[in-house]
Amino acid sequence: MSDIVRFFEDRVEGSQESLATALGEVALSSEVDDADLYFEHTTREHYSLEDGLVKKAGQEVSQGVGARIVSGEKTGFAFTEELSPRQIALALESARRIARGSGGGRPLSLSRPGRPGLDLYPTTDLALDRPVPEKIEILATIDRLCRTESSRVVQVMASLAFEQKTLQIVRADGQVVVDRIPLTRLNVSVIAQEGENRQTGSYGWGGRTGFSAIASPENLAHACREAVRMALVNLSAKPCPSGTMDVVLGPGWPGILLHEAIGHGLEGDFNRKGTSAFSGRIGQRVASPLCTIVDDGTLPGRRGSLNVDDEGTPTQRTVLIENGILKGYLQDRQNARLMGTRSTGNGRRESYAHPVMPRMTNTVMLPGETDPAEILASLDRGIYAVNFGGGQVDITSGKFVFSMSEAYYVEKGKILHPVKGATLIGNGPDVLTQVCMVGTDMSLDTGVGTCGKDGQSVPVGVGLPTIRVDGLTVGGTT
Amino acid sequence: MNTSSIPSPASSTGLAKGSKIKLEDGEEAVRYILEAARAAGATSADALYLSGVDETVGVRKGEIEKVHAAQSRGIGIRVFAGQRQSSVATSDFGADHLKSLVERAVAMAQHTAEDPYAGLPDRILPPAIDPVRLFPEEDHIPSRDELIERAKAAEAAALGFDPRITNSEGAECARSRTHVVFGNSLGFLHGYRKSSYTLSCSVIATSKDQMERDYWYVSGPLWESTENSEEIGLKAASRTVSRLGARRIKTGTYPVIFDPETARSLIGHFAGAVSGSALYRNATYLKGREGTPVMNPCMTLREDPFLRGAPGSRPFDGEGLPTRKKTLVDAGVLQTFLFDTYSARKLGRQSTANAVRSLGDGPGVGISNLIVEPGTLSQEALLKKAGTGLLVTELIGFGVSTVTGDYSRGAFGYWFEDGVILHPVSEITLAGTLDEIYKNIVDRGSDLEIRSSINSPSLLVEGLRIAGE
Repeated sequence: MSDIVRFFEDRVEGSQESLATALGEVALSSEVDDADLYFEHTTREHYSLEDGLVKKAGQEVSQGVGARIVSGEKTGFAFTEELSPRQIALALESARRIARGSGGGRPLSLSRPGRPGLDLYPTTDLALDRPVPEKIEILATIDRLCRTESSRVVQVMASLAFEQKTLQIVRADGQVVVDRIPLTRLNVSVIAQEGENRQTGSYGWGGRTGFSAIASPENLAHACREAVRMALVNLSAKPCPSGTMDVVLGPGWPGILLHEAIGHGLEGDFNRKGTSAFSGRIGQRVASPLCTIVDDGTLPGRRGSLNVDDEGTPTQRTVLIENGILKGYLQDRQNARLMGTRSTGNGRRESYAHPVMPRMTNTVMLPGETDPAEILASLDRGIYAVNFGGGQVDITSGKFVFSMSEAYYVEKGKILHPVKGATLIGNGPDVLTQVCMVGTDMSLDTGVGTCGKDGQSVPVGVGLPTIRVDGLTVGGTT
Repeated sequence: MNTSSIPSPASSTGLAKGSKIKLEDGEEAVRYILEAARAAGATSADALYLSGVDETVGVRKGEIEKVHAAQSRGIGIRVFAGQRQSSVATSDFGADHLKSLVERAVAMAQHTAEDPYAGLPDRILPPAIDPVRLFPEEDHIPSRDELIERAKAAEAAALGFDPRITNSEGAECARSRTHVVFGNSLGFLHGYRKSSYTLSCSVIATSKDQMERDYWYVSGPLWESTENSEEIGLKAASRTVSRLGARRIKTGTYPVIFDPETARSLIGHFAGAVSGSALYRNATYLKGREGTPVMNPCMTLREDPFLRGAPGSRPFDGEGLPTRKKTLVDAGVLQTFLFDTYSARKLGRQSTANAVRSLGDGPGVGISNLIVEPGTLSQEALLKKAGTGLLVTELIGFGVSTVTGDYSRGAFGYWFEDGVILHPVSEITLAGTLDEIYKNIVDRGSDLEIRSSINSPSLLVEGLRIAGE
């Protein structure tokens, strides 16, 4: 993969030595704990369809270098979109002013750029290399399939997006890491109408995959069937009840519960500052003994996976909760250092223009021992929620919400009818203690998650088996 | 109707191979890329240039925690090949790169569908107003130390407010200056520069085993906008402390008062539902409702793109059309949807100059500044009028659909009886449909303040479903 290794060498006007000098000057001066340069070149391509026409196609290129200087709890950060040694040195100088270092640095000795040990995603069969008509044909197929699925479909909106990010991280220890990261995303959204009743259904799919995976006929047929099915289900949905009740969450994407209820609260920055509802609770029981939860950046091809994080640390599988006991936090280098521990490979950033923070990768609850059918059958009166929209959490109070997009009202273990979308609200530190059954059917989501924190978006994944949670507040209208 | 010649570039854009477009000169960059599009075979095109200088400082517990400085720029172009279109954008201003990117765009456009409604506006018109009247001139640009000083002052005021303030997420002070240039192949080429200053503070209060966080912020077009830094800190602190002791309330149907911040969010959904794009997609519950009541008769909503210093103000829209004031809702009756050129053509209407444009994509529909006309009652008087119910001060989650109008969100606020606040409330949801909620807004406060692009006084909604205990 010499093209990846040499990618920035060819683009930066100037030598590795000038970089080593500029970075070394600040990184090796006293009072500086860490420093890095993050070179990024990203190409994004998108196509969208509505009204039966592929109306829009486009491409975006962004490139730049982020310079970061860390000193204790302080971070100085600057970026430039010009890949010249002079601009990079200026960015470093601007970032270093925060650490009133006494200078005295010297040139670093940089390693040859190296690829990460992990190899979780393809570097060939990339969507960007395929001819435009092939991608447009996918959307046309989706339109046809959705409309064939039901005559009640009045609108089909579909989009395809591909991204290819090439990065080079030059670290203060002289190590230079390069990687090329693909991301693909397919979204199908339909509106079905019956009289004046209009409802939506959608299906998303994606990951760090090649082109063939997204374009397979089975994949497209499944996406369309699911989107239309959801819209038709919602056409017959009745108002959702309101109040506190027991809820069964289906497998896969409902794992957003983990992301909101506990994942953010376990990020190192909040815990280092003591602002999380989980601060200082390592070793305590925070979930029922049925719950074991990990954050795993090493799952091949998944949306949240990375060979290395954005600080060049290899990703790993981090146990967050084991049999209900809080085991660990998610760390980047700065927060790990300040908390006297090691980075867990969770230092992530949206782009060169954003600073690093501890972020989740793929957050997953491991399977339990109960047959999922038995879990649903155990529900006396409550909600069976199989799909969700987004969620949000207040880290400090622990209150979190997530919004159902496909759900059913259940009595005596029987599904009676679908209910309209409604928000579920709970308290993060309590909710997992209310998990009373965990199914054998753990599945990962289909690759749709984007997590927002402090204005930065990064792709993430979740995974969940069917679980029953008692006493969640359901925000219905009746 | 959409073919046109592209004006030839000014002589200054005669660029040698491998050269860079000058960062400071947005006009030159837009001219250059439009000319490149013409040369590549585009029949028409429009282009947006954005550049900005941003500086953000953060302090926490009295110490500087972060300093971010950025100089960024980007250019995006939409090209037409007859009735087919595509768009490209980049942050790389190398002349060769720009050329090859535009060639790529023209090639991509050959493959998209022929769309009879696609194209630039029929003609160009001058901007509605001189940008100088929208965006006040700055007489002082603060240094980094001045930014730090204000953030420190805000946080110090917050930390000193009450012994129950035990921790801090810090205070941030930021400035940005943005240069916007838009041009198209019909010969439109205009730009403006605007500045923005923000000061925010967020602290944490503790009592027994409960921990609560809240924040406050101010933003505006001038450095003076953030001068009451202590006030921001004190307000953040008092909001935070007042959340201690929050508990749930019983599930039921109650009157609910949305404070100006949450009312803004409630009205924001309306701005989405009146989009002409949503209308032609069958994706709004307001379809077919023009000229009919969509809100309580006490509600009048206006759009004003000319509010001096307001964040949504603009002299022309995302397609270069002159912006204008309009009434969206008059005494509860929907007056108009909002259209860009595309949605208007598609529905046989006229653009309302509500196109918004981002670098990477063609125009969509959006609003400049939306204002809900205030009433006469103070928030206290609204509480008295409501009697017993919930005052909402924060909403979380995404449970709103403008397609169906279904609304369900997590909320935080205060329970009041006989017009008197008794205790804070958390871990509850509010639910209904937007249509019912807007029709049940029985009164408005007098507390309108222009803080954002969507602005509302407090709103009193009768009979909203709350899920709690």
